[in-house]
Amino acid sequence: MGGLDGPPKPPALGDAPAQPGRPSGRLRVSGGLEGLPALLEVRDLHVSYGRIRALQGVSLTVPDAGIVALIGANGAGKSTLLRAISGVVRARQGSVSLLGEELVGLPVHQIARRRVIHVPEGRGMLARMTVLENLRLGGLAARDRRDPAADLERAFALFPALHSRRRQLAGSLSGGEQQMLAIGRAMMARPRLLMLDEPSLGLAPLLVREIFRIIPQLAGEGTAVLLVEQNARMALQCAAHAYVLQTGRVVLAGPAADLLAAPEVQRAYLGAG
Amino acid sequence: MPDPTFFAFLVVDGALAGAIYALVALAFVVVYKASRVINFAVGEWTMVGSRMAAAAGHTLGIGLGGALGAACVAMIGLALFFNRVVLRPLFHRSLLSLIMVTIGVGIFMRGAATVVFAGLPLRIVSPFPVDPLIVSGLPVAVDKIAAAAIAAAAIAALSWFFNGSRTGLALRAVASDQQVAMAVGIDLHRHFALTWGLVGVLSVLAGTLWSFASGGGFGIELLGLKVFPIVILGGLDSLPGTIIAAFVVGILESLVTGYLDPLVGGGFSHVASYLVLIATLLIRPYGFLGRPDVERV
Repeated sequence: MGGLDGPPKPPALGDAPAQPGRPSGRLRVSGGLEGLPALLEVRDLHVSYGRIRALQGVSLTVPDAGIVALIGANGAGKSTLLRAISGVVRARQGSVSLLGEELVGLPVHQIARRRVIHVPEGRGMLARMTVLENLRLGGLAARDRRDPAADLERAFALFPALHSRRRQLAGSLSGGEQQMLAIGRAMMARPRLLMLDEPSLGLAPLLVREIFRIIPQLAGEGTAVLLVEQNARMALQCAAHAYVLQTGRVVLAGPAADLLAAPEVQRAYLGAG
Repeated sequence: MPDPTFFAFLVVDGALAGAIYALVALAFVVVYKASRVINFAVGEWTMVGSRMAAAAGHTLGIGLGGALGAACVAMIGLALFFNRVVLRPLFHRSLLSLIMVTIGVGIFMRGAATVVFAGLPLRIVSPFPVDPLIVSGLPVAVDKIAAAAIAAAAIAALSWFFNGSRTGLALRAVASDQQVAMAVGIDLHRHFALTWGLVGVLSVLAGTLWSFASGGGFGIELLGLKVFPIVILGGLDSLPGTIIAAFVVGILESLVTGYLDPLVGGGFSHVASYLVLIATLLIRPYGFLGRPDVERV
């Protein structure tokens, strides 16, 4: 599916004309997202890689509890959006606001210290350090080091496989174990917002199911989750709200259950029809 | 027939020197691992460190401890200044510029030291007795043993710091992957500054210990030349490798001085360590404990 050039196709459904950055048609996002306070507000974000316009006026809201899914094809700009929020790439225009505080322009480490934790595609492991050291590193971002031992316990409770491998080098773990370690490390920072970029990528189906069992568990314990996934079905099944990104714009948005049932989503992303 | 006592003496002598080489090499490696900057002037830093200690002792009239403390403060300040004012603005330029700047600073320091420290004693007076100890028939200078012991203690403290403390963990993360370090909330520039602060402290310590052990501050810049064979042998990326390699080079030089110098004329030890460097680059370029950057993708 599409690259980043050329005009986006108008959304297949909807009576209202599409405007860049605003969700269209009858799947419009209701204000305030069902009464949950907003944790993160992205407004009209524009990001370019040189001349390539990766995001063209994206707006979305992440409430302070629950899972928000971001789906779309390769090249739609999903990873770019996460990188723009975490500060790895700088937005040309627009705003990312965390409980009212502007994040655009802040260096990466300061955004991480505000407990907005990004687990990138490829996981970002320190291969030559042990599992335990990688986990401890995650805890460095937590400003108040209340009880690192308890945090470690929680991480091991969540991922028992990591406990038995705690003195192994991270580089020697399998793909699935590395993903668990990446999430475990992110959780060590006690994040307010956990951003996961394609956690199921390259994993066997059994592990994918395991990951999608754990993500709602984390959300249930109070961490807001922004989930980018190519596996649209699993993402929509566990999320409360979802956005569909296409060539750098939000083309559909709404409750995940509605999107799951929508025929155009089914056609484009769920392999039906 | 080689005399075992002589051999033992050479080995011990070399090991004692190696302990101090290790401090200088560590100052180099710590910066390199964190920021990939190759500090060509590490010998000059050590020289300035020792002269600063001597100057502090002389002008402030305080004892050895106080002089070392004052010199550390001054050298940390100098190192932090250098990092902030000279290196940091060049951060986004090529690595080559950073390297050339360290060479330039080395030349500047060498010249400036003669002017700045003019009239001041070259070295701080050793507090250790002059008469050598006789250990199982071998005369060993107390200076050398004490200097090596202090160096060993400093190495142990550094190792504990890197492996056991939060800041050490952060430094290792920065050395491993800067992007990942930022993503876990580590402030890169603050940690680079920290490594330069360490250079300041190590330059005072290594410089002073060297002046004790070598009976004079002379040839101290040559310490810088020894760093390259050491770090290549040990693997630029490995702290334990650096320490071991420092002892190996120290012992090797000592053996060469003892056995080969009478045959080929003096000073062959310096050549020997560079021959080892060349051999290592040919046989095992990542050093014996270094690792090429191959990671599971």
